[in-house]
Amino acid sequence: MIEVDARGLSCPLPVMRTAEALGSDPARVVVLVDSGTAKANVSWVLSERGYDVSVTEDGTGWRVAGSRASAAEGA
Amino acid sequence: MNGRRAVSRAALVLGGAGLVIGAVAAWLVSRGNPGNMGLCIACFGRDIAGAFGGAGFNMGAVAYIRPEIVGLTLGAMASALAGREFKPRGGSATLLRFVLGGVFMLASLVFLGCTVRAWLRLGGGDLSALAGLAGVVVGVGVGALLLRRRFDLGRARPLPAASGWVGPAIAAALLALALAAAFGVKPPLLTVTPPKAKTTAEKAVISADGAVLKPVGAKLVDGAVVASDGTVVSGAESVKAAKPLPGGLRAPFALSLVAGLGLGVLAQRSRFCTIGGLRDAILWRRFDLLLGIAGLVVGALAANVALGQFKLGFAGQPFAHADALGSFAAMSLAGLSALMLGGCPFRQVVMTGEGDADAGAAVAGMFAGALAAHRFGLVSTAAGLAPLAWPMLGVMAVVLAGIAWWKRDAEPKGAGAA
Repeated sequence: MIEVDARGLSCPLPVMRTAEALGSDPARVVVLVDSGTAKANVSWVLSERGYDVSVTEDGTGWRVAGSRASAAEGA
Repeated sequence: MNGRRAVSRAALVLGGAGLVIGAVAAWLVSRGNPGNMGLCIACFGRDIAGAFGGAGFNMGAVAYIRPEIVGLTLGAMASALAGREFKPRGGSATLLRFVLGGVFMLASLVFLGCTVRAWLRLGGGDLSALAGLAGVVVGVGVGALLLRRRFDLGRARPLPAASGWVGPAIAAALLALALAAAFGVKPPLLTVTPPKAKTTAEKAVISADGAVLKPVGAKLVDGAVVASDGTVVSGAESVKAAKPLPGGLRAPFALSLVAGLGLGVLAQRSRFCTIGGLRDAILWRRFDLLLGIAGLVVGALAANVALGQFKLGFAGQPFAHADALGSFAAMSLAGLSALMLGGCPFRQVVMTGEGDADAGAAVAGMFAGALAAHRFGLVSTAAGLAPLAWPMLGVMAVVLAGIAWWKRDAEPKGAGAA
């Protein structure tokens, strides 16, 4: 699992950092954000790349989690 | 792939938001706002600064606390609170953002419009805006290259609640002052441009009901402005050709305020951004925000045509000049500075409403830039750029280059494998 701390980053860095992390094609990625716009944009990029997205509130921000079953893991 | 529609929901929301914003802006013009200036963060931010700067800063003609800006901030705040998105935060190169806000305003006052008004001018048929828009695209393009070089102003942190409330509190204070003025009680020390006042080439000022406001003691005699000592300040022809003072052109207070509040909610919910629209299209071919810009132009265009306000052409457009090179250069700096800030001035105002103190610093920088622009004669007129504009643009280009160099190649942060 890869975790990206995008809290406090100005647009469009949350999406850019997330996209970078997706470069290694992880099965699971969690992005920490603390603005509504970042929450929406990160959810979008994860969804675009084929991840199932779930968002949970986490203290002063949100955890945007993306997961997908990979053929190698088979689950 | 999980079922992607041909046009994403976000794109539709943004397109719709743009349509509404553009149409409301055009409608505000029909109700009294300056031509093609139903909504302009730069011009209106300048007008608010002008209420405080007054004649001492050469801002007597542009002095009015625009309810639109106040409404945008408070509407965005309400929307953020309702959506649990009010997050007091700050500390990302705050003072630098103040400077970037100032650069943005100075550049916008050379072009005569912010990145939102540039599109609204186009929607009004003002083709002279095209040069400015080309500049914005170039500025954002340069910024996109910087982002790929890991340009990063740094991480903001959650702030104590009170820090996030400063911005909305200032907006509320401005609202109180504006309300007082609207009810005929001009706050002491503030300036309010007389509504619908006009000025002649010789700088005489005539109120809407024909009283001569400047020079003091002068009167209208047979259509000419005659001073108290009998000299003719402005002949009858000159008085007929008098131009309206921008600060005196405004829609009714309640309309402007309600429009601002509504658009603030809409912009906060939809994440509307005129810079993001270009940036995302350039960086990763994402067109949702661009559809917001398209909506803005179409909405303004349709409303302008319906209201009989559409005038196609390069010359003689309201509060605009035809210096294409100047417009291009100025707006390339405006586009780049806005990209460095992370969003267009509309977004900076909305984010201030969301509790973002860094965005508030950028807006404060815009106010300061407006005061400087008028105090030092840097604002363009219908005739074109001020003499000091080009040197100033050169200085600001160097400043932005310095910021770009300083904040490039940020260390990779945030990503870690677990």
